[in-house]
Amino acid sequence: MIHFSILIEQLINGLVLGSMYALVASGLTLIWGTMKMLNFAHGEFYMLGGFGLYFGIVSSHLPAWITLPLVLIIVFLIGVLLEKGLIAPLLGRPGWDVSAVVITLGIGIFIQNFAFKFWGGDFQNVPYMFEGTVKVFKMNLAWHRIYILAITLIVIIAFWQIMKRTRFGMAMRATAQDNEAATLMGIPYRRIYRITFGLSACLAALAGTALAPIFSVNPWMGSGPMIKAFIVVILGGLGSFSGAILGGLIMGLTESLSVLFLTSGWKDLTSFLLLILILVIRPSGLFGTKEW
Amino acid sequence: MLRVSDLHVYYGDAQVLWGINLNIAPGEVCTLIGANGGGKTTLLKTICRLLPTRKGSILLSGVDLKDREPHEILSLGLSMVPEGRRIFPSMTVEENLKIGAYIRRVWGKKDSQLEKNYKLFPRLEERRQQLAGTLSGGERQMLAIARALMSNPQILLLDEPSLGLAPKIVEHVMETVQAINQNGVTILLVEQNANIALRVSQRGYVIESGRIVMEGGSDALLNNQRIKEAYLGL
Repeated sequence: MIHFSILIEQLINGLVLGSMYALVASGLTLIWGTMKMLNFAHGEFYMLGGFGLYFGIVSSHLPAWITLPLVLIIVFLIGVLLEKGLIAPLLGRPGWDVSAVVITLGIGIFIQNFAFKFWGGDFQNVPYMFEGTVKVFKMNLAWHRIYILAITLIVIIAFWQIMKRTRFGMAMRATAQDNEAATLMGIPYRRIYRITFGLSACLAALAGTALAPIFSVNPWMGSGPMIKAFIVVILGGLGSFSGAILGGLIMGLTESLSVLFLTSGWKDLTSFLLLILILVIRPSGLFGTKEW
Repeated sequence: MLRVSDLHVYYGDAQVLWGINLNIAPGEVCTLIGANGGGKTTLLKTICRLLPTRKGSILLSGVDLKDREPHEILSLGLSMVPEGRRIFPSMTVEENLKIGAYIRRVWGKKDSQLEKNYKLFPRLEERRQQLAGTLSGGERQMLAIARALMSNPQILLLDEPSLGLAPKIVEHVMETVQAINQNGVTILLVEQNANIALRVSQRGYVIESGRIVMEGGSDALLNNQRIKEAYLGL
């Protein structure tokens, strides 16, 4: 018999993990929804977030509240530059759906090897952004985990409001639904693509900074979360923002509960089983496409 | 107001428009009629810079649109209602209208623009919170027109607004077009339904296989023997 408090603890772990999956996946789904392309370099932005945090806090002894925005801004700019320099020239050309896959794979391999060559293959540890634990209902909860839940909630709410209310957010949704009609509204959709790509990279980097203290930093840290994010995006429905959030949480909870009831070796297996199940029952994902 | 001179357009290597000349005066309703595949939509898309020009010029109040990016056209006072409405189905009616006021010049005034357009299209106000994808064909057409008006254009291009609509609703759309014109907006109406288009316009052009083959007053065109046979089914 499993003790109740262990179950609750695993549920919270599942939510923490799930909210990170949700962040990484929402970046991926944003790009699919707007640009109709898959980004295989997405995990590398997650890794850049982790290394950014490491260089800021461990190497340069900067406080976390300076490091975090700095890292996000830098990753945003890297995303924008990559889109402008390498992806935009391919967009709209014949066969670009395939060439976009190839170029992002290439970008991913490049960033990964760049990190390996210049930053080394050692596993680097980063301190928690918030040390210590707090006792809630007889359970020890690490502040860092509460921070992760809070930041995810803030990002989701902020994003939702931006999409619903701001000029930019509405332009983004219009572009996602019909980029030619958006052009007729005076929306420079190429610029929207660029900013979307940067924001998407930012979301991955944010997840990278949040999880780096838990998992440690290395050049390959992005591959796992990216594959999970792809599963989440398919689970939630390609291009659906709320699908990515919900899918992320479902996946996090499934994994943490499978650790509890089976063994930790089953963790990845259950997430792929979940994927296969969804593909059989509901191939378009929980929310289908075109949801925002 | 809008002057198209000697316009040549290609799809890849295939030429689709051959030396088009078009002149639209301020304040008029001008129509462009022609059969399917004659180049009507191509011409409109070229004017809006969605297709590249090989040769010729497109002057809007003296500014050559050829040097402009497609998203800049709206700021110059030209707005288009595309073929097939192309509304944003997953946005509400009101959001569709607001995005019509995207350009900087009108974004700050979008609330008063909304009010103005709701007055012209009361049906849209009733459905403001509804998703645009759930509207009927006629309502979608109205929404597409209202959305194009949100930017306060001087000239409005309409591509086949009657397409797929019941005759009674077509009648209503045409009345709306005339009302918009009476508010001071110049209109270029592109139609396959020549009969109805010539009746709401003052002047018309006939396009066939990428060439303008005839032009003149709408009444004269309505009574022209060739037009009667080819387009009015008489």
